[in-house]
Order: sequence, then C-alpha cells, then structure tokens
Amino acid sequence: MPATPVVVADVWVNAGAALEPLEWTGMAHFLEHMVFKGTERLRPGMFDYAIETQGGFSNAATSHDYAHFYMALAAEALPTALPYLADLVLHASIPADEFVRERQVVLEEIRQAHDDPDWIGFQAMSEQVFPDHAYGRPVLGTESILNQRSPEEMRCFHQAHYQPENMTVVITGGIHLEPTLEMVRHAFRAFPSRPDGLPSHVGRIDSWWGVRRQVLQVPRLEHARLMMAWLGPGIDDLDAACGMDILSTLLAEGRSARLVRELREEKQWVLDIASSFSLQRDCSLFTLQVWLEPDRVDAVEALICDRLSALAHHPVSLAELARAKRLLTNDFAFSTETPGQLAGLYGYYNIVASAADSYSYPTRIQAHTPSSLTALATSFLSANAYASTVLLPVS
Amino acid sequence: MTSSLSVDRPLLHRTVLANGLVVIVIENPVADIVSARVLVKAGSGRELRSHVGLFSLIASLLTKGTQQLSSMEIAERVESIGASLGSDASADYSLVSLKTVSSDFEDVLELAAEILRTPSFPDAELDLEQRLTLQSIRSMKEQPFTTAFNALRLAMYGNHPYSLPGIGTEESVARLTRDDLVTTHQTYYRPDNCVMVISGRIVPATAIALAEKYLGDWPTPEDVAPPLVYPMVPTISTHQAITQPTNQSSILVGYPAPSVKDAAYATLKLISTYLGSGLSSRLFVELREKRGLAYDVSAFYPTRLSVSQFVTHMGTAPENQSAALEGLRYETERLAQETLTDEELDASKNKLLGQYALGKQTNAQLGQLLGWYEVLGLGVDFDRQFQDTIRAITAEDVQFVAQRYLTSPFTVVLGPNA
Repeated sequence: MPATPVVVADVWVNAGAALEPLEWTGMAHFLEHMVFKGTERLRPGMFDYAIETQGGFSNAATSHDYAHFYMALAAEALPTALPYLADLVLHASIPADEFVRERQVVLEEIRQAHDDPDWIGFQAMSEQVFPDHAYGRPVLGTESILNQRSPEEMRCFHQAHYQPENMTVVITGGIHLEPTLEMVRHAFRAFPSRPDGLPSHVGRIDSWWGVRRQVLQVPRLEHARLMMAWLGPGIDDLDAACGMDILSTLLAEGRSARLVRELREEKQWVLDIASSFSLQRDCSLFTLQVWLEPDRVDAVEALICDRLSALAHHPVSLAELARAKRLLTNDFAFSTETPGQLAGLYGYYNIVASAADSYSYPTRIQAHTPSSLTALATSFLSANAYASTVLLPVS
Repeated sequence: MTSSLSVDRPLLHRTVLANGLVVIVIENPVADIVSARVLVKAGSGRELRSHVGLFSLIASLLTKGTQQLSSMEIAERVESIGASLGSDASADYSLVSLKTVSSDFEDVLELAAEILRTPSFPDAELDLEQRLTLQSIRSMKEQPFTTAFNALRLAMYGNHPYSLPGIGTEESVARLTRDDLVTTHQTYYRPDNCVMVISGRIVPATAIALAEKYLGDWPTPEDVAPPLVYPMVPTISTHQAITQPTNQSSILVGYPAPSVKDAAYATLKLISTYLGSGLSSRLFVELREKRGLAYDVSAFYPTRLSVSQFVTHMGTAPENQSAALEGLRYETERLAQETLTDEELDASKNKLLGQYALGKQTNAQLGQLLGWYEVLGLGVDFDRQFQDTIRAITAEDVQFVAQRYLTSPFTVVLGPNA
C-alpha cells in the first residue's frame, strides 16, 4: 500500500474468553485492560502517551476467540513503537494496585452494558444457543467472579496463552517487507515462561431439535426485540460459510432484501430487521434481529419461519443471487481501503482460519448457485430447530 | 513543532458550474472505489420549532420515490449493483452520498441526481417514514446517555433550533405534511445552495463532465433562500437531575461555546483533545486510570455554524456521581487558573493533528471533510488553515479561551438516585 503514510500494527492472540476456566469468566477481557498497565520497562500509561503524542492511536478488543492489540501511526515511527507494543503484550507485569483500580473500570463497563437492551438480548440469546460452551458466557465476566480474581491468576492466564504459537502479528501500510519482518522478529522474541498446565473450560456445542424460546422482561424498553439464532457451518467449510453470508444478505441486507421488503416496507410490521452471520472458530452463528411492537412478535416469528422454509424449497432467482453476490463482493472491496481495515481482516481470518482464506472470499461467494443455497438453507436454517429470545417491556 | 503523522492531500480540483453548483474533485487511484456526495447548505438549524425533524424526514424520503421511480425501483437499482446511496440531515447541512466501484459510478450518479432534483414524496412512503421516525424517537429513551444529552441540549439552547434532536419530536413529526416537505425541498435543494465532492479512482475531467451531464441543467430558482437568523441562547446555567432506574449514572457537563467561525474555535478543539481524546487524555488518565471512576469518559466540541457546546461526560456507578461531576468540572475549569506546560501543549497538538490526518484516510472521509468546510462557507483551504492555526496556539491562548468559555456549565445527572 505505497500511497498511505499510515501504518497499522495489530497483534492477534488466540487467548479469548473461550480459553478461560469456568470460574475465571471475564479474565481474558480484564487482561486486555491490564496489558496497557505497563511492564518492567514501561510505566502505566507511557505507551499510550508515546503513541498518541506522535499523532497515532492504540486500542484493543477481546472476544471469545481472540484478544487483539493495535496501533496506527506514521510509518517512520514504527521502528520505535513496535518494540513497546510487543513489550506490553508479551511482558505485562499486572501490578497488584493497578489490578484493583482497573477492576473498577471493568465493572463500570459491565454496568454500562447492562443499561443496553440489545446487549442484554444478545447475551441471553448466546446463553440459550451455547448453554454448555464458552460462547454462552459473557466476555465481560460478572462482578462477583471478577471480585474473586487475583493478579497472580491473571499472570498465569497471560503466561499460559500469550505464546508464539498463539500469536499473529499483522502489519499493513506503506512499508517494505524485509525490514518489517526483521523488526517483528526482533520485537517478538522473548516470550514469558509457561506456567504448569492451566485448565480451560471450553465445553461442547450440541445442536438441538425444536424451538428453544425465552421471553425476558426488560426495564426502560420502548420496543420489543425478537432475536432468532441458528448454528452455522464450521470453519472447515468456508464455502458453506460464504453461502450463509449470501443467505443473510438476501434475507435482510438493503431495502430490496426479502424480509426487509415484506416486513418493514410492505406489511409494516417491524421498525427494523437485521441479519448477521458470524464466523467463529468452534461454531458459526446465524442470527436475525427484529425491532417491533410486542403484539407483532408471534406473527413475525411465524412469517420468518415460513419464509425460511420457502428458501429451503424454492431456488432463488439468478437475479436475486447476482444482487447478493455483488453486494458482498463490493462490501469486501469497500472494507479493504485502509491499513486498519486490512489488518483487522487478515488478523481475524488468521485467528479463526488462515489469513490466506481472506483472499479467496470473493471467489467463494461467486461459486454459489441457487441449488447450493437451497441445500444450505435446508441444512442450517430450519424452521423447526432454532433459538428465539424475545425482549418485552416490563408490564 | 510538527506532527509526525500527516497525510498529503491528493491534488484537488474545484470548479463552479454555470448554475452555481460547486464541484470538487479529488483524484485518488489507490482503490477501485469512487465516492461522491452532494451537501446542501441547510439542515435542522433552519427549522422552525413547530417543524423540528423536517430536514431529517426529507432526507429519509429522497430515496423513497422520484417522478420516474418508485421506492423499490430505486432500492433495486442501487442494491443490484452492490452500491450504496444514502441521504441524511444534520444541524447545518443535508447530504446525499454514494459509493460504488469505479465502473458503476455513472449509473449511480444519474440516480443520485434524480433523487436530489425530483423527489416525489409519495403519500404512502411519507406515512411509513413518519411512523418509523416516531418509533425511532421513542427508541432514544432506551439509551441513558441520549436521554441525558437531549436534556442538556434543551437547557443550553432554549429557543435555538439546535435545541432539539435532528430527528424531531413526537409532536412535531406527527404534524409534518407533504406540503412542508415539497416547499422546503424547493427552497433549499437548488444548485447554487449545494456542493458536490467526487473522490476516488476517477480523472477530474471525467468527473466534472459527469457532474455537468447530470446536474448542469438543474435550474436555479430566481428567488433567494431566506437569510439565516438565530435566536439568542440561554445564558444562566442550570442543573438537571433525572431519576431513572439505570445501572450507571450518566454525568454531562456542557459549556456554551462559539461557532466554527470564531477565533477561539481551534483553541477549543485543542482543549477538547487535551481533555477528552484518547487513552492519554487528561480526563481519561485522571478519572479513569487513576481513580477507576468510569469506563467511558470523554469530551467533544462539535463544529457548528452557529453557537456550539463544549461537553464533557462520563458514566459511573451511582454512588460515585458527585465525585464524577466534581472531577469533570475540576479538570476542565482548572485550565482557566493554570497554564499548560510546553510538553502538554505540544503533545496535544501532535495528537490532534495526527487524529485529524487519520480521519481523512478514505475517499469518503476526505470528501466529507472538504465538502463540509465548503458548505460552512470556510472553503476547502480551511483544511490547511485549521492545521496551521493549531500549530500556532500558545499556552496563554488556551488559558485565555478557558477563562472566557469554560467557567459556568450546564449540568445533567441521570441515574437511579440523581
């Protein structure tokens, strides 16, 4: 990317919430906060100050499958800054006083999440879909669990998982390959020594027959929510995963998509409807989320089931398929415009599959046919086996 | 003192068509994308109190029907080629924007010109959008920060049009009629009141020829748009306590602040960066990192044609709300008493200029920024002037501006025991 003077370094670690022991729920995310609290060489806050006063920025995020730490800055500042980022990620010292203080910040993050009805709904749905797997546990953890955790336990989690085989360093921008590789080799050489085996409790995922349904009453709610979820194909079948993206697009992406057109524009039963397909390492997830009036919930859910059955029985038209393919391949092109977007794409793919798989996305999308989609809808989007979570205002 | 992160702006072409439409072209061949936008010099700041939400409703209806095409035909034309075409309204301008791969640009531009020039505001679509808008207005009440911010804005702006959310109120939106939309569209959506920016993989001569082809014959009405006159804003600050059963308390502190055309604009932007931008900002370090009071703590000072507001805010546990309010005020108002060190000043300048550069990475971002400066009447050169002004700010400037503006705030606390 020679035209941009911006460089992004993004360190992806296969150390998300899925690797936590059951009683350590929230540890991976809390650790992500503590990584910025310094090392033997870097006082807390020094890294942020150094990056930001050079005009760059840094941040981090944690999910079930990963934690990642990134910075964007001027290309010429990379040689100075990269060793600092590596030092933070590899050698976080997790000072006890900072641990206690930062726990208050994480508890604020949890409180804030509990004031967001969409977060509450998504969390409830995850628990319902993955009752025996880490994907059903909240990444943020809970107040009572976090209050029982210690800096020693966090260091143990850090040292066990922040190891070279779990790490992907992505660097994008106006840089040259060889000197950059050398920079990475040098910065990421001294890894922490491994503690004795740390148990994780990832659990298992079972598919089910029938409809798992839960209704929650939520305070301060103005509109009901209907969330429906299905287990999707695994990362061993990326062709199928790309097909699920197509199905998601033709159901609910844009005003001319099937469910948006019928439910929002024509019948006018819903305020909005969105679908999403998320590729995760242990099991992908297909969801539909609807914002609507409480008295429409049952009718909308029944209609969606009916339309999914139709999708499994009647091949989509070539025009409709072409539209979805073009939307997805253009979206893919639009999301590779900046170094930050590219770093995210490559890093994420390397965590759940491999970076090279990201290149083949447009080809995999193009390969789908009306019959391949009918087969996917039959296998994965059953009207008789799904989970639904309904949020209603407190009556 | 310079920032080590700066992005050279690609060559920029600016031209004015015979009908008064300003066209700016930024050629950037890096990605196979063309982004274009037409900014209209009118937004919710032009609305009467009885018509709040008018420009937002116009924007949501532009893509819902023209004299030739139905709502679904427009959606199908855009979505079948995987492009995006959207419209929006904000305080000082309205916007139609599009993004395509280069080869589809002309098709979508033709459609964009049609929705700008000849929207039909069909009754059935108006009914639907009105109903959806009313539901969205209700949705805002689910978000504690939004509820608290709406209360702050109302107190700070009184009768000024910036006082209410751009989407409108339940009362005003229910009353808007098709006639209101048609008349307002005719008054403000006219070529001599618009700026078009095209950026991406396109040769300037081609871009200008296409603008001429689809918008060059857009006639300019004889009459002129009415002058913009803003009412005075309240000067006596207030405190509002709003009791709601939330888990966190939302604390907002707002200081009346000047428009983008004021000499203090750049200095207040710098103060906003110093206090509230990034992990090394003063509020973040003092209130989050050292005291653990918040997850989100930040400051913002929106760029406005008329009077703006300088806002600091945080979410905190209800038992900490007094300490949070005191902390936010102390860190801001301290700047009137103490002078920033040279290091603090330079660090803040570098941070602001670096983030400013990072905010201009995509074709759409760059086009939006330059088009916005143009509709604000500052011109595209404000991009450079603003950065020069930032570099020249002294610690004394910061203290002087803080003494003048950051002293007696309006405040809101929303929470279970506000």
